[in-house]
Parts: sequence; structure tokens; C-alpha cells
Amino acid sequence: MQIIVQIGIFFLICLAGEFLSALLPIPVPGSILAMLLLFVCLLLKWIRPEHIEKKSDFLLGNMAFFFIPAGVGIVEQLPLLLVNLGPLAVICVVTTVLTFAASSGTVRLVLWLQNRKGGGSDE
Amino acid sequence: MSEIFQTITSSPMFGVSLCIVTFAAGVALNKKLRSPIVNPLLIAIGLTIALLEVFHIPLENFDEGGDFISMFLGPATAALALSIYRQLELLRKNFLPILLGCLAGCVTSMGSVFLLCRLFGLDDALTASLLPKSVTTPIAMEISEQAGGIVPITVAMVVITGILGAVAAPLLIRVFRVKNPIAAGVGLGAASHAVGTSKALELGEVQGAMSGISLSISGILTVLISLFLPR
Repeated sequence: MQIIVQIGIFFLICLAGEFLSALLPIPVPGSILAMLLLFVCLLLKWIRPEHIEKKSDFLLGNMAFFFIPAGVGIVEQLPLLLVNLGPLAVICVVTTVLTFAASSGTVRLVLWLQNRKGGGSDE
Repeated sequence: MSEIFQTITSSPMFGVSLCIVTFAAGVALNKKLRSPIVNPLLIAIGLTIALLEVFHIPLENFDEGGDFISMFLGPATAALALSIYRQLELLRKNFLPILLGCLAGCVTSMGSVFLLCRLFGLDDALTASLLPKSVTTPIAMEISEQAGGIVPITVAMVVITGILGAVAAPLLIRVFRVKNPIAAGVGLGAASHAVGTSKALELGEVQGAMSGISLSISGILTVLISLFLPR
């Protein structure tokens, strides 16, 4: 029963996210809004971690699994992908490496600057 | 015989079972070989596609069960709220570095995609499909559609980018010497959204939470940036 209640909480929050997404004038996906909603509910203590722990640890622990069907869907776009295989492969690899380097580098830089200004604690 | 085959493969149970079996095979192989290249998700996708092709099973049949699994992507994204909540102190203390890191990631991703697309002479529709490729699938689909992109191409590139980030994560962390778990998590979330986050969760609780925060902030920032794109 406990797990059914937890699944219910998740589905209701996702539905609320879809509802908000339809209301908003800018295209923000329902799942992101559902995450923000759940986060706010946790902050306000309307929902406590133990209310949703089992279901969320199941979802988080198996996250990769839920992407399999989306990945398999690539098969339908194979012709268009194959025609542009070279450029697409280069774009994918280069931009992913650059993005990782830029964002993790910025985090480290800002942390370093803050530590220097604040008299330096641990990194 | 072929009629029975058709009935079986078009049952939702078929797609779900196929995913579970191929994913289990991927996890087992990953445990045995202990190499980041042997990514369970990558193996599961490859094996599933291969089996569908070999046995001439239409994608629609697989999707009866596949759609059921995809339905959990929404709740799985929402569940990241709990992992962020568990790291609330860390988020409060490091809000500025995280926010700026995500912003740098979004701008770099969209900027470098745009420049490379121009360099390779790809057309506007393809460029629009690739621009949001570093953010999570539901956001990327919306942005691509608004900008006149080809949505299935966007989905394919988002998934490929995510898998690439997840597979390359240990290598990227070593090459760029990212010892700080916050920086590693934010980088993975910004570069390879939820698939990268699934890998970050394996690296550690802090990395996972930071990656979850990063994928959501990056997603929202990318939506905001794309509002200002010419169309």
C-alpha cells in the first residue's frame, strides 16, 4: 500500500506539472515544473522525504533504464542521421566536451574566487 | 506462426520485457568488463535495435511497451527534487558557482553547436534541431519545435549526447582534472542532461544531486535564451 501511495504522489505532482505547463506562456516542460513543485513541497514540509523516498530511490537508481525506448527510437531517423554522419558526430563530441569543460571550469573558477575573497576555506 | 509472432510482439509486455532483458545483459557485461565504454544503456539500446532488426519486428510493436517505460521519464525527472533537497546545504552554500557554471554551459553548448553547424553548412532546420541538444529531452523537443527544427532528430541527438556524456564522464573528469564533486556534477548535468545525471548518481550522491540541479537550471536557462533567438 505504501508504495502505491508514493506512486500516487508522483503521478499527481506530474499531472500538476502538466497543468502548469499548459497555463504558462513560455514552453517549460511539465516534468521540470513537477520537479520544481515537488522541491517547493519538500521545502515547505508539505511532503516529507520519507513520504516519497521508496519511489524516488527506485526512479533515481534506475534512471538509465527509462531512456532505452527513447534511444531505440533513433532507428527511425537513421537515414537522415547517416547522410550527415560526419558533421553530426564531430558536433556531438566537440560540443559535449566543450560544454563540460566550460561549466565545470566556471564552477571551479567561481569557487576559487569566492574562497580567495572569503579568506580561503577548503576548496 | 507469423500471426502468433505478431500478437506476442505487439503486447506491451514484449517491449518492457525486451528492455529489461537487454538492460540486465548490459549491467552484467558492465560488471564483468568494468570499462566505462561498456555502458549498460548503450548496450541495451544496441541489443534492442539489433533484435528488432534481425527478427523484423516493427518499432510500433516495441513501442507498445516502450511508451509505458517512457512514461516514467516524467516522474524520474521529478524525483530529482528529492536528491536536490538532500543536498540543500550544498546548494545554498554554492548557489553562485552552480548558477554561473550552468549559464557558461548553456551558452557554450548553443554557441558551439551554432558555429559548427554553420561551419559544416548544415541547413537551418537541422541547426534548429541540434541547438538544444545538451538539455533534457522534453525541454529540447519544445525548443526545437518552436525554432522550426525536426523533432525526432532532436530526440536522437539529445539521447546520443547524453549517452556520450555518460560514457565519457570518467574520462572527462580525469582529463580536465575535476576533483571537486560539485564541479563534476554541474558539468555532467549541463553537458549531458538526465543521462549524464544517471551516471553522476553512480559516481556519488553529491555528483548526482549537483547534476540534477544543473540539468534543471540549464534546461530553464536554455528555454530563456532560446526565447531571444531569431526565428
